[in-house]
Amino acid sequence: MRSRSLWFAVLGMVGFLFAGFAQTPKDVLIIGMSHEPIIDFEPARVYEFEGGFVLEQVYDQLVNFVGGKEAFEKIVPGLAESWELSEDGLTWIFHIRKGVKFHSGNPVTADAVVFSLRRSLTLAYPPVWIIQQFIPSPEMVQKIDDYTVAITMNQQVGEMLMAAVLGYQGICSIVDPAVVQAHATPDDPYATKWLAEHDAGSGPFMLKEWIRRDRIVLEAFPDYWRGKPALRQVIIKDIPDPASQKLALERGDIDVAWNLLPEMIADLKAKGQMKIIETPSWSFHYLAMNVGYEPLSNVKVRQAIRWAIDYDAITKGILGGAAVKCHTFVPIGMFGHLDLYYYQDLEKARELMREAGYENGFSVELLTRTDPPFPDIAAQIKEDLKKINIDVKVTIMTYSELLKIYRAQQHQMVLVRWGVDYADPSAQAIPFAHCETTGPEAKVKQLAWRNKYVSGVTAWVEQATGELDVRKREIMYKAIQAIVLEEGPYAILYSPLTQIAARKVVQGLEIPPMWYYTELFSVSKTG
Amino acid sequence: MIAYLVRRLAWMVFVLMGVMTLVFFVSRVIPADPIAAMLGGQAPPELVEKLKAKWDLDKPVIQQYIIYLYRLSQGDLGISIASGRPVMADLLHYFPATFELATAGTILSIFFGILLGVISAVKRGSFIDHVARVSALLGVSMPVFWSGLLMLLLFYYTLGWLPGGGQLPYYMSPPPRITGLVTIDSLISGQFSVFVVALKHLVLPSLVLSFFGTAAISRITRSSMLDVLREEYVTTARSKGLSEGKVVMRHALKNALLPVITVIGITYGRLLEGSVITETVFSWPGLGRYATNAFLALDFPAVVGSSMFIALLYAVINLIVDISYAYLNPKIRYH
Repeated sequence: MRSRSLWFAVLGMVGFLFAGFAQTPKDVLIIGMSHEPIIDFEPARVYEFEGGFVLEQVYDQLVNFVGGKEAFEKIVPGLAESWELSEDGLTWIFHIRKGVKFHSGNPVTADAVVFSLRRSLTLAYPPVWIIQQFIPSPEMVQKIDDYTVAITMNQQVGEMLMAAVLGYQGICSIVDPAVVQAHATPDDPYATKWLAEHDAGSGPFMLKEWIRRDRIVLEAFPDYWRGKPALRQVIIKDIPDPASQKLALERGDIDVAWNLLPEMIADLKAKGQMKIIETPSWSFHYLAMNVGYEPLSNVKVRQAIRWAIDYDAITKGILGGAAVKCHTFVPIGMFGHLDLYYYQDLEKARELMREAGYENGFSVELLTRTDPPFPDIAAQIKEDLKKINIDVKVTIMTYSELLKIYRAQQHQMVLVRWGVDYADPSAQAIPFAHCETTGPEAKVKQLAWRNKYVSGVTAWVEQATGELDVRKREIMYKAIQAIVLEEGPYAILYSPLTQIAARKVVQGLEIPPMWYYTELFSVSKTG
Repeated sequence: MIAYLVRRLAWMVFVLMGVMTLVFFVSRVIPADPIAAMLGGQAPPELVEKLKAKWDLDKPVIQQYIIYLYRLSQGDLGISIASGRPVMADLLHYFPATFELATAGTILSIFFGILLGVISAVKRGSFIDHVARVSALLGVSMPVFWSGLLMLLLFYYTLGWLPGGGQLPYYMSPPPRITGLVTIDSLISGQFSVFVVALKHLVLPSLVLSFFGTAAISRITRSSMLDVLREEYVTTARSKGLSEGKVVMRHALKNALLPVITVIGITYGRLLEGSVITETVFSWPGLGRYATNAFLALDFPAVVGSSMFIALLYAVINLIVDISYAYLNPKIRYH
């Protein structure tokens, strides 16, 4: 009798544990995403993509970008409903939208804009360089009246560049001064500790809950100036493992899976039960050649290497189609992109090696990162360059080890990744093509400098940054790209696709080339 | 006994200092730049230098060590480069989830391990013994990333009996954080339904975690039981007419447990340091992922802090194991 009761108890317990599970509610969007890179949500500090994605929903900027692949082609008014440039071309005047409220209910005014931008410039966290390069001092942001702000730049800055910089998430987010001041302390006058975990924004969603490496809960802000969001709540759940994300999506426990691997996307495409959203990202995987290393100092050798690589084997073979070919540093879809492509031509490559006097080849070391797909791509490059007698020794190391060597100009070749910082070609031309000297006195110590490539187009890069004539500016960037493509130290291989899988009930989810600008305001669910 | 404890505690401090010193210097001789890696390839060099100064990384290593020692004496483990928060706050945030999972995993390991070990020993050479030994072998050799995904595929994806990952359903808010253990916090705050759901979420990851421990415990239980079952006092017990169950459970098992306790201690220690793979597959916000990420990013303060914390856990478990010997075998005395 006693043992029978025990069995019933055990069976009851098992039944209890194995009872069914609820599905995601219709007005709640559940996103599976890895939270590993997230540090916190202090707008002046956020620099990582995942943090930027959250801030995109919580804060507004003066100008905005909306939509999918074409998001950055059109500047949309944000908290500023209009703007104009002063006659000397140095000061942008912004007219702030009236009647906009912060989540606290306080109004958005010129004071809030001035406070927020000065706050970011004063706190000077890592991403500050994006605005500081044009607005070096907090005093350059001035209030004219309650709804007008003047921002003076240190050089002429056209509308596109202005929008790319002032539309940047995080550092250019407008925060509620009253809320910030309410949480300020003597040793933290800008309430950075409080803002790291809370919000003071005016965006379509409010940050309701954040549990590190677990969940982020956003709740719709009913008084949002563009209208109430279609979703009541968004839950961004930390699911670090792509395989677990896929299982959760297919079981219907999450609505969107953000970090699936290309083969998982291919599987879902084949099954046809999910919606796959793909956008070429504004980032590159590229091979850099140190011009300070003798054989690579010869421009013909660098050209030979570019003609020897089998780009299709990389994009279609190794990456299974999860990338698009892109060889110029202004990415596809960005203003000023030069549509030129390389393909493997071994005869041409061998001829260039002969002309360079390296018919019998040479040895070179290629450094790359440990994480996929870098080792596989390095192996492909080794195989390709062997065909023109270049013996590549591949060394795989952690990113922190690699960067130390790369920054010290001590590599021969590296295979790494580069992402666009803000939506303007100057964000690319400056690192890739600005280098007047290889010494420590160089003004910009980024990619051209690291590869000891004294660029003949440095002056053009500076000129193009401040050019106000759009057509002229476009021609200048195309010319810079053509020259760097021909003689520069890079073999840009491809842009990876951002691939997101969602349940078919999810509507209105569009992914821009910089995915962290994805807006959830217009997203809804049909079931 | 008290003198013994004091000596062990002093030894523990010595071990922790040793671990700290070793990890501190080893991590700093690696030719890498964690600040550059954290900021990414784009960051201007001036910014990298500025942040290096913030973490004292611009100073000679010996000076960095002295600064660290001084801060440690104030109970400060430093600020994590990756999270920007005190390492102690991070450890206390992530450890409860690992503690909950490791404890559940160890309980399952003990239950299944001893059960299988005893049955194997008593039915030595039988079919059930072979099955138990093969299971033990599988438990030790199956990689967790595989067994974890297999369990998810079967019990979550295909059968739908158990939840997939996380400590609670994705749409459910956790109970107010008191201990950090979701099961306990839900009970304290009177949310019984949350407790049940949290328990369901514990089943799969703790089962996967228990495989290795079950295998180790069952093997040692079996061999220890076989030794004990040959002892004369077991024969005496049988000859007195006691039932086989009483002989095995009361006379043999208790005496066979001594080596098993050591294995249990090692198993628990291993699980408490966090399993990065189990935590990743099951989206568990634990210490394993935190420590592994710290090591990969060479987040110096977090690397040293995590290492000391894990060393402390091992030291405490070893102490508990040693003390428990005395209760199992009164002949053991501490000097």
